[in-house]
This record gives sequence, C-alpha cells and structure tokens, in this order.
Amino acid sequence: MSAAIEVSNLAKVFGGLRAVDGVTLHVAPGERRALIGPNGAGKTTLFHCVTGTLLASSGQVRLFGHDVTHLPDYRRTELGMGRTFQITNVFTELSLAENLVLSIIGTDRRKWIMHQPLSAFPAIREQALAGLEAVGLADRSDQPVKLLSYGERRQLELALALNTNPKVLFLDEPCAGLSPGERARIFNMVRALPRDITVILIEHDMDVALGLADRVTVMNRGRVMAEGTPEDVQANPEVRDVYFGHA
Amino acid sequence: MGSYRIVLGLVALAAALLAPLAVGQFWMTLITQIYIYGLLALSVDLLLGHAGLYSLCHASFFAIAAYTTAILQVRHGVPTLLAAPAGILAGTLLAILYGASVRTRGVYFILITIALGYIIWGAVYRWASFTGGDNGITNVPPPSIGSVTVASQTAYYYFALAVVLLCALGYRILIRSPFGLSLRGIKASESRMRSLGYRTTKHLYVAFVISGAMASLAGVLYVYYNRFINPVAASFQISVEVSLMAIVGGSGTIIGPFLGSGIVLGLRNWVSSFFEFHAAVMGIVFIATILWAPHGIVGFFSRLHARGAKTKTAPP
Repeated sequence: MSAAIEVSNLAKVFGGLRAVDGVTLHVAPGERRALIGPNGAGKTTLFHCVTGTLLASSGQVRLFGHDVTHLPDYRRTELGMGRTFQITNVFTELSLAENLVLSIIGTDRRKWIMHQPLSAFPAIREQALAGLEAVGLADRSDQPVKLLSYGERRQLELALALNTNPKVLFLDEPCAGLSPGERARIFNMVRALPRDITVILIEHDMDVALGLADRVTVMNRGRVMAEGTPEDVQANPEVRDVYFGHA
Repeated sequence: MGSYRIVLGLVALAAALLAPLAVGQFWMTLITQIYIYGLLALSVDLLLGHAGLYSLCHASFFAIAAYTTAILQVRHGVPTLLAAPAGILAGTLLAILYGASVRTRGVYFILITIALGYIIWGAVYRWASFTGGDNGITNVPPPSIGSVTVASQTAYYYFALAVVLLCALGYRILIRSPFGLSLRGIKASESRMRSLGYRTTKHLYVAFVISGAMASLAGVLYVYYNRFINPVAASFQISVEVSLMAIVGGSGTIIGPFLGSGIVLGLRNWVSSFFEFHAAVMGIVFIATILWAPHGIVGFFSRLHARGAKTKTAPP
C-alpha cells in the first residue's frame, strides 16, 4: 500500500535561503507523525509546500501515490488534505455556525448554490452544529467568532479542518499558546480521531508531540536530522544536543 | 427585532408606492434617479461589502449597457424588447472580460479597475463617430413593449421601482445563499477558504460578472430615464461616487446603498442650488462618515438600536 504522504527530496528556496533543503518523508496511512525542531528549522514551510499553500521549488509530494506537487491548495483539500495554521485562521466576522458551514460545503458543489438561501438546507445546518458539538462549542453556534477566546478559536479551527473530511490532517502547533486545560482538550480531541485519518503535527510541547506520535521526525536547518519512535528520538544524542539542550 | 424590520420595510414600501401622489415632478425624477443609482451602488457593494473587492470600474458596465441600448434604439430603431436585453448583454460581456482583474488583490485590483474604467471612458469620449463624443446619444425614446409605452414620468417611476425591488429580492437570496456566504468567507480569510477547498478566484470572478450584470441593468434603466447618454456616465467620478454611496448608506446591507444614493444625490441637488463648490461638501460628508459612522447610516442606527435594547433589558 502506498504511503499517505510521500515527500521526496523537497526543497523550498526564498532568495538565498534554503528554508527546506531536500526533505524526504514517508508517512503511513493512519500514522501519527510529529514534526519537531528548533525555530526556523523549516517545519511550517514544509507544511506549506505539502499542503499547497506554497509551491515547492523542487522535489515531489504524493498523496496516497497521487502526485500533487503542482496542484493548488484547494485541489489538495478536495483530494483529502486538511490543515490548521500556526497563526489561528478562522473567519472572525462570521458566526461559529457559518464557519462550519463554509468548511462543510467547501469540498462539494453546494458552495456554488446561489438561487436558494442557506436556510433551505437544514441538513447543512445540522452538520454544522454536530461539528461544533464535537469540539464543545455548540452552545455558541450563532455568536460571532470574535467573541471567542484564543483557545476556543483553536478548537474551532480544528473543527473546520475536520469538516472537510480529510484523509490526512496537518496540524501546525495546535496547542501553542493554550492554557494547560485547553491543551489537554485539544490533545484528547486529536488522540480520539479515528485511525483512518493520518495526522501530521508540528508541536513544540514535547509532552504533546511525544504523547500523540507513533513516529517523530526532527528537522534542523531545513533538513531531516533524525527520525524514529519517540523513544529513539529522545535517546538520540545529536537530537538532544540541538533540541532538548544539554542535560 | 424581526417584526420591527418588517414594519419598517412595509412603511418604506408604502411610502415608495404613494410618493408620486404626494410629491411633484422634481422630486419624483430625483427619487427615480436615487433608485437607479442605488441599484448601481448595490451592484458595487456585492463586491465591496461581501467579497471585499474595491472595484472602481462599475461605471463602465453601466455606460456600455446604456450606450448599447441607446445606439440600437436611436440609430437602428431596434425595439425596447431587444435593445434593453442587448444593453444588459453588452455590459455583462464587458464584465466577463474585465473579470480577469480578480486575479489581483488589494491595491493592485483597485488600480487595475481604475485603468479599465478609463479605457471605456476614453473610448466613448473619443470615438465620436460612433458614440457621439461629448454630446453623447440624444433623443432616446421612452421604453415601449408592443403597443404599451412607458411615457409618463409617473409610469417610469413605478417601472423603475418594480425592477429595483425585483433585483433587491434576487440579491437578498444571493447573499443568503451558500455562494453569498462563501464570498464573505473570502473577505474574512482567503487563505483559510482555499485550504477549505475553495477556488477563491473563480468565486470572485463569478461575483464580479453578476455584479457587472446588475450594473448593466442599472445602465439600461438609466438611459430610458435620462433619455440621453454622454461620457459622464462612464467616468471615474461615477465609479467612485457609487462606492461612496454604498459606504455612506451601509456596506454589506441591501437598503444601505439606496440610502446612500438618496443622501448623495439629495445633498448634491440641495447644496448645488446655493453653493458652487458642492463637491467639497460631499467630501466633508464622506470624511464624517468614515470617522463617525464607518458602517454607514444603517450601521449607525442598528448600533443605536442595539444599545437601546441593551438598556431596556439591563437589570435595574
């Protein structure tokens, strides 16, 4: 069976900076993969190139064997990639329910309906409420997002990504900046995801990264410097040196 | 909240229907003009208030539609039933072409639409043998369908009112549809929309064409109202003024652009009767709006209303 995500020799160059410098990555279907590394290691840029927010300078990205290297981001979403952003990216001016509606209709033809109001589609509304229920925000469905706390917005963003029905979910620091309680909530939500969704996450919080991941990839200066089980990686002296600091 | 809006709507509708009985010729023509420019401002606001695009070329669609209808009707004797749809079609075709501008964003989009608008203005102004140049096309007959001619100003008032109401109803469905919500999503965060599976440029393109078609319809209404058309209709000034109408009235609402149209045209008529520099007064109105009522008249009053409701329900 082909890998859920297969990245071969991917590079992204900004002027003279090789932000991602020849990364190769195989993530098996259903796997939980954590991507760790110091600031500026190229993790988010790699995410951008894999999900299509940026196009790679060279190399290849395959989604279940399908070459998506040159496809725009919205096509990759249609093919089964879902993502959250490092900087929370939700529709602050809209209500929570409207946010969910946009994620539900985004991957099908219903987004083009213009001759009927949304109120004519109770099924979409129900699905939106169910999506909010799943992240514990159903009771605030008709409030504008700008009334939500930062942590709640992170939860909402996860709900948005999940409602595009992704086969592979990319989470860019889902727990960054959250209180311990909120962190636990996101952690449990990600852990409860069914195994037919492959999850790749960038995380600085080692407890989160190592608690969720089956395998860990360590990046430094645009390259992969180590890969293995959480135990292997923690034991790797080189990784300890650049990432965990001297003990 | 809901019932108060219905009452307000019914009062406004009754006032619109009864206005010709209560006011003279002058006011009736002015109000007809307010409807037509309001429709043009509404078309601009589909992009401005919903999709977040600041188009400054909508006078082009308005003018091309008006010129097409006028030329067909005056020079070739084409009946209204064909000339009017041909005008709308011509304006819409131009929007299909100009829609390519949605590949750009922000200030680049604004600059490109300004340039595109000047192309049309320059063409109608300079291509005098075809467009009549500065004089434009005069003696446009009143619209007639078969043996029925909408000759009187009162009849045309009701005709314009009916068309504008139908458009407003259609617009209301459009902005409440999944497509309309998608436009507001793009305005709020385009990158998020793309990662949710939206080909945002295509959505914006379709919105641009719909908006251009509406502006074209306003242009056809205008040429039969005015009975002549000249290059002023294609000018940059018109494009700017209708955007400001939408902003002054309340961008993102349906009634806002019409209120804005009423304020701008009403003020201009009133001020210009005693003050030569009426444009300066308009400038002050716009600045005051941006400073103290950035969401326009509608936003101002709905905020007052919300504040009133809050003090009423607040515990003692």
